Amino acid sequence: MSIGTRFFLLFIVWHFAVLLAADEPLANDYFESKIRPLFANRCWECHGPDEQWNGLRLDSPVDFLRGGDFGPPVVPGDPEASLLMKAVQRTGELKMPPDDPLSADEIESIRQWIADGASWPATMDTGVRSLEQWRTHWAFQPLGNPSPPAVDDGGWCQTPIDAFIFAELARHELRPSPVADRRTLIRRLTVDLTGLPPTREAVEAFVHDSRPNAYERLVDDLLSSPAYGQQFARNWLDIARYSDTKGYVYAREERFFVHSAAYRNWVIDAFNSDLPYDRFIQLQLAADQIAAEEPASLAAMGFLTLGRRFLGVTHDIIDDRIDVVCRGIMGLTVACARCHDHKFDPIPTADYYSLYGVFQNSLERQVELPHAGTSGKSDEAFRLELQKRQQALAEKLASSRAEASDRARERLADYLFAQSERSKYPEEGFDQVLARTDLIPAFVRRWEGYLAKVDADRDPIFGPWFRFASIQTDAFAAESPAVHQQILAESAYHPWVRGVLSDAPHSLRDVADRYGQLFARVLKEHRQPSNEPPASSGENKPTGQTLAEPFLNVLFGHTSPCETPDESIVSIETYFDSETTTQIWNLQGEIDRWRLQNEDVPSVAVGLFDRTVLQEPRIFRRGNPATKGDFVARHSLSLLHDGPPVPFLVGSGRREFAEQLTDPKNPLTMRVWVNRIWQHHFGVGLVRTPSDFGLRSEPPSHPELLDWLAGKLRENHWSTKSIHRLIVLSAAYRQSSRVAGDPGIAKRSTEIDPDNHKLWRMSPRRLRFEELRDGLLSVAGDLDRRDGGKPAELFSADDRNHRRTIFGLVDRQFLPGTLRLFDFANPDLHIARRSETTVPQQALYFLNHPFVAARARSLIAHLHLHDQDQIEESDAVESLFHAILQREPTAHERAAAAGFLAGARPEEPVPLSRESQAWSYGYGELDGSTGRLRSFTPLPYFSGSAWQGGESFPDAKLGWVQVSALGGHPGNDLQHSCIRRWIAPESMRVSIESLARHEPDVSDGVGFRIVSSRHGMLLSQDLKASEARLDLEHLDVEAGDTIDFVVEVLQELNSDQHLWAPKIRELAITDPDTAPQDPRSLEPARAATDPRVWDAERDFVGPPPQLLNRLEQLAQTLMLTNEFLFVD
Amino acid sequence: MIPDPSFFGPIDRRAMLQRSAMGLGALGLASLLESQGLAADPSPSSVGESLRPRAPHFPAKAKHVIHFFLNGGPSHVDTFDPKPALSRYEGQSLPGKLTTERKTGAAFPSPFKFQPRGQSGIEISELFEQTAAHADDLAVIRSMYAQVPNHEPSLMLMNCGDSVQSRPSVGAWVLYGLGVENQNLPGFVAMCPNGYPIKDAENWQSGFLPGAFQGTFIDPQHRELEKLIENIRSRHATPVEQRRQLDLLLQLNREHQEQRTDPRLEARIESFELAFRMQIEAADAFDLSKESQSTLEMYGPGVHGRQTLIARRLVERGVRYVQLWHGAGQPWDNHNDLEVNHRKLAAEIDQPIAALITDLKQRGLFDETLILWGGEFGRTPTVELTGEGKSSLGRDHNHYGFSVWMAGGGVRGGTVYGATDEFGFKAVEKAASVHDLHATMLHLLGLNHEQLTYRYAGRDFRLTDVHGRLLREVIA
Repeated sequence: MSIGTRFFLLFIVWHFAVLLAADEPLANDYFESKIRPLFANRCWECHGPDEQWNGLRLDSPVDFLRGGDFGPPVVPGDPEASLLMKAVQRTGELKMPPDDPLSADEIESIRQWIADGASWPATMDTGVRSLEQWRTHWAFQPLGNPSPPAVDDGGWCQTPIDAFIFAELARHELRPSPVADRRTLIRRLTVDLTGLPPTREAVEAFVHDSRPNAYERLVDDLLSSPAYGQQFARNWLDIARYSDTKGYVYAREERFFVHSAAYRNWVIDAFNSDLPYDRFIQLQLAADQIAAEEPASLAAMGFLTLGRRFLGVTHDIIDDRIDVVCRGIMGLTVACARCHDHKFDPIPTADYYSLYGVFQNSLERQVELPHAGTSGKSDEAFRLELQKRQQALAEKLASSRAEASDRARERLADYLFAQSERSKYPEEGFDQVLARTDLIPAFVRRWEGYLAKVDADRDPIFGPWFRFASIQTDAFAAESPAVHQQILAESAYHPWVRGVLSDAPHSLRDVADRYGQLFARVLKEHRQPSNEPPASSGENKPTGQTLAEPFLNVLFGHTSPCETPDESIVSIETYFDSETTTQIWNLQGEIDRWRLQNEDVPSVAVGLFDRTVLQEPRIFRRGNPATKGDFVARHSLSLLHDGPPVPFLVGSGRREFAEQLTDPKNPLTMRVWVNRIWQHHFGVGLVRTPSDFGLRSEPPSHPELLDWLAGKLRENHWSTKSIHRLIVLSAAYRQSSRVAGDPGIAKRSTEIDPDNHKLWRMSPRRLRFEELRDGLLSVAGDLDRRDGGKPAELFSADDRNHRRTIFGLVDRQFLPGTLRLFDFANPDLHIARRSETTVPQQALYFLNHPFVAARARSLIAHLHLHDQDQIEESDAVESLFHAILQREPTAHERAAAAGFLAGARPEEPVPLSRESQAWSYGYGELDGSTGRLRSFTPLPYFSGSAWQGGESFPDAKLGWVQVSALGGHPGNDLQHSCIRRWIAPESMRVSIESLARHEPDVSDGVGFRIVSSRHGMLLSQDLKASEARLDLEHLDVEAGDTIDFVVEVLQELNSDQHLWAPKIRELAITDPDTAPQDPRSLEPARAATDPRVWDAERDFVGPPPQLLNRLEQLAQTLMLTNEFLFVD
Repeated sequence: MIPDPSFFGPIDRRAMLQRSAMGLGALGLASLLESQGLAADPSPSSVGESLRPRAPHFPAKAKHVIHFFLNGGPSHVDTFDPKPALSRYEGQSLPGKLTTERKTGAAFPSPFKFQPRGQSGIEISELFEQTAAHADDLAVIRSMYAQVPNHEPSLMLMNCGDSVQSRPSVGAWVLYGLGVENQNLPGFVAMCPNGYPIKDAENWQSGFLPGAFQGTFIDPQHRELEKLIENIRSRHATPVEQRRQLDLLLQLNREHQEQRTDPRLEARIESFELAFRMQIEAADAFDLSKESQSTLEMYGPGVHGRQTLIARRLVERGVRYVQLWHGAGQPWDNHNDLEVNHRKLAAEIDQPIAALITDLKQRGLFDETLILWGGEFGRTPTVELTGEGKSSLGRDHNHYGFSVWMAGGGVRGGTVYGATDEFGFKAVEKAASVHDLHATMLHLLGLNHEQLTYRYAGRDFRLTDVHGRLLREVIA
């Protein structure tokens, strides 16, 4: 396999040249005067440059000849056989144009044109015109070997990078900015390389470090810190559309990946150990083949296997993999070619399906990774249970596969006949509920694939089938006898097949049935061998096993269309009826969940492994798997080759593909990678479209610098850290970000290059979400620096997770709003560069989210500043500035902060509303005999929407008991019934209104009880999948009486969630002795104007709020400053 | 009504606005808003399309959208597409029956009565008796079709224009195209009682567009503001304390800003002021206690009346796009007992829909609000069969043909567009794809669907991808 040093596109040139045969001038005139205007006026709206309905395009000869989904539109010379004619004459199913038929003249013109050969003059269409551009496009050129230009820089340059930058500045009469001060530098460098702000101590040490190489030492320290990998890896995870969940899956499948954490940790470790980038790529694509000796590397393949599941649709999963590889590694938007040749870049559809073939032949499999953890008793228990679950899956899978295959064999005639009406059977992606008695579309497609490879003319078994199948349905009776005669005369056909066709079949169904009978006999004989020959008609008498062999091959062979492949459920879920598929997935889910639930157990990778029997990829016309086109070979992109691409030789070709990607002669991979590193440090890359280096991308701002860096990457054995080092040591990187100095120069710079493309200063940057959250944790002294491990919820109500954000849970299905709000990379898509938005909801997060307030509290506690009265205000201000911004306050800031602290004490919070105060939430036990409560214990934990036993629900100790605004869940037993308690604030008469509801129609429902401390049980009702009004017209209560709304578990703890939010209403007491007799004033004054209502839903609250004190408020305010969020 | 939501005690809206206006006065609101704009943000590392209002491509009537999403798939042959032929074929199998997700059997005539309504005589079933009173305002599209008879891809197609790939939702595209009129409220709100529909937040995602364009999910069963909008209330500071903090923050930020030139700094300062005001404005928008008794009664008592009335209040305040889902999961997915279930579901929204139309008209908002009604697909005219082959008295999914309707801004009322076949299985006359519907919606909002593009992954993407034709006959 050779990659051209010249990056020519000969193959493409050749590809188009074939289609552009020259035509006679006369015909050209006719076409130009009659046909092209007709197409333009009547067809292009839907079949032109902008839209191609049904894939048809009538504005270029290439597309025209190729045709749309229904095939080529014309048969040159034969108008009657041409689809286009039928459509415009409106004689067939297609009627075109849809609304307004062509005139008779127009139709006649088309007929004439087709009859004359339908020639289309070979003008250069857009695709061809751009050939020259492709050939000369900068990104496809071999890497240059540029030397840094000689510049008259007055000593500014520190590294060769600077010479390139300076030369470009000079060309635009710009000048670099002075070097930034040391405080700025250490913050910039530390945030860039570790994602964390520097500590106060580190800042002071650096500021006062007088050694000449202080900066270099700092760079080396930071690059060797484990925090470096935790920071830089996130860029790669954005590219790899990393997530811990699969996206929407049907409920049958476990939605969490078992292998995401292993991949994420592998990426972090790879950067920390400076794994050479070429190896980094190769392992992610083909660790199964290149690192057999280091099984831990299989984790790398998460790159391919952590994409969305697309409801299991293979085409879409593969498309996602092609996209992530080509854009992520080479900056090429290959996915465009799924439906049509790339409009701008030299990527024909055939290339897409070549790569499709690579992934089509790579199957997923879970592999356990070597485990460094403990191997104690718990480990053994884990193992035993795991084996049990694996065993259950293996048995079920084996028996289901056997059953499915047997059914497919028995229904061979039906599957064969189905080939004549394939459109009735949905393609993958159309999820049909299938019963055991249904034909399974996956087998229909398997048959299609099988027959596509058979020699239709001469295959001994199926040759006759093809002959009959080619007869038009309505002509079958007429033509069958003749075909039948030919078949009988054809000795290549198997005698048994000729035997069952000894009389002419009357329909194709009849043919299929005869095949069915024949195979059934073979099958029966195979299973219960008898002495009777399976086919016994006269001269075709079979002579034993040799004659049966071809049939047995069809039924049982390696590539049998009746066989359910021996693969993981993820690859073969469509081969079963719906119920079986669900059962198998459940068993797989049991394994997955067991791994996910247990801490400190071996990690799992999901790798790709090559198929043993390879499948040849076919082009899907217009990307539609129902319209299959030509077979293509598996090879890498044509543009990587001098001539026609050379097919891969080994297995799926994945390893060869990975090697081509990282071949030093391939200029794209290195350019793309150094550009990404550059973008990390400067905010934008030298190429501003980091994942698109195609024709539509902007050329690099500094092309020679880009190549020089790529050359350095190669020279330094693909060391990523070496590129970081080159960049951050440059004077360009160390510039001040201020627009300062000579006002004239500053003004000119902002006018000439407002976007700072030329780098006349450093561009300030905003912290991304991870850096913001980690930074807040860090300055507050809360950061938990543990490395690795399983993903943990980032936004849990109890503020327990203080780990770096990269270890947080990324759930692509339920991505927390806060992550989206802060422009976190959408885990469904490959994200080359995050957007950066400023919206008020972000400010609401800073102001109101408990996470930020908790940091302020922590910081004050860690600084031992909690007793405000004991501390000099100026000391406190100073400490906080140092802790949060790593600097002294200015005099003005000091005064402002001191003034802030000196103000009146914060207001006390308004207590809970009087109504809310009347309620409490707990659990306890009801005494069945007395109808009174034995106990009431308040629930300890508020989740944000419900009171319950603890953070996780159900709680380990208190179980399922829970009370929310609208209802709740009883505990696991009668000692833990859930109780919503109301305490009468004074003596009065009240009514109770409530609707109790239990929805799930499973198990046995729950028991609703209303209990008064004074009167005992008031109401009691068991409900299952039903609702009931539990109202009480009136009840007299004394101050301090309780009314408890209790829900009990019945026999079974299952689906016991319920809705029950009662209202208690104060009633007017119309006592005849005290009330006035005048009917106009029957009711007491207060009750008449203000009858109180206690509404369980409305009044429901969590624990009373805790206000920040002044110092905490100051700390929070400093965390909210622009200075904290932006890095100079 | 919204009771006092937390511990603040009643908030004096006017006083709060005065305070925040003071803070803002010092900044110069107009120039700040300017600085947030696309053109005015030359910062190299900012991809930031802002939420500032933007002019449409051409003048249009509709400025807002309210989309009633009947998730699960309402039956068109029981609502807006009468098929008397089904009665003639009752109990018989239909010619040309199409493959859907599950097995179906014989023709299943609608158990609901249809009759012509209004001047236009559009036939609408008794299920939407009150909505039918506005028949002359509706443009019913009876020839919609989708791609597959499964909920997930069809939800994605209807909401994001692509059944497979992760793409921005219609609401996100509209925010991208038109921006937000009221910076104090989210521009795109998706309400769904009791939790998420199938496919969750993907239905209102921003896809590759900036996160600011995503829909804000609100569960209208809650009445407390802090449960409606994330972080809208502080539990650690009162508004007065927060104002003090913001005043200090402003001083610190001003000093920081003096030596720097970066429009993002100003934008962020402004965002804190906007956030502060949003706390008040949002409380007001969701506070139905300010509505008259007659209005409350017109919308009806249930959560659907409530969320529809909130939608009107939001649109009134300049919210661009409001999606009203019927409920968590897929309530309209009536594979069984369709008569009972459809009757119950329609009863929940018929009155609120009719009330909304009346109310918008009374307030002069009808002409500038585009109302869309529909699900992700329709249902089969044949009865669904159980595993044992018995009738389930329900209908299966049907993507080959179904109905939606539009009303309000720029819509030609009293129109019926296209038709399904004799039985309602398949769109046969003027078949309209979901892309066509989206193109038409954008058009009604003054946006050309071919011009509204966003560069991502090396090419310009559109809501309608390479498809979409205007349904001109539904445009006034």
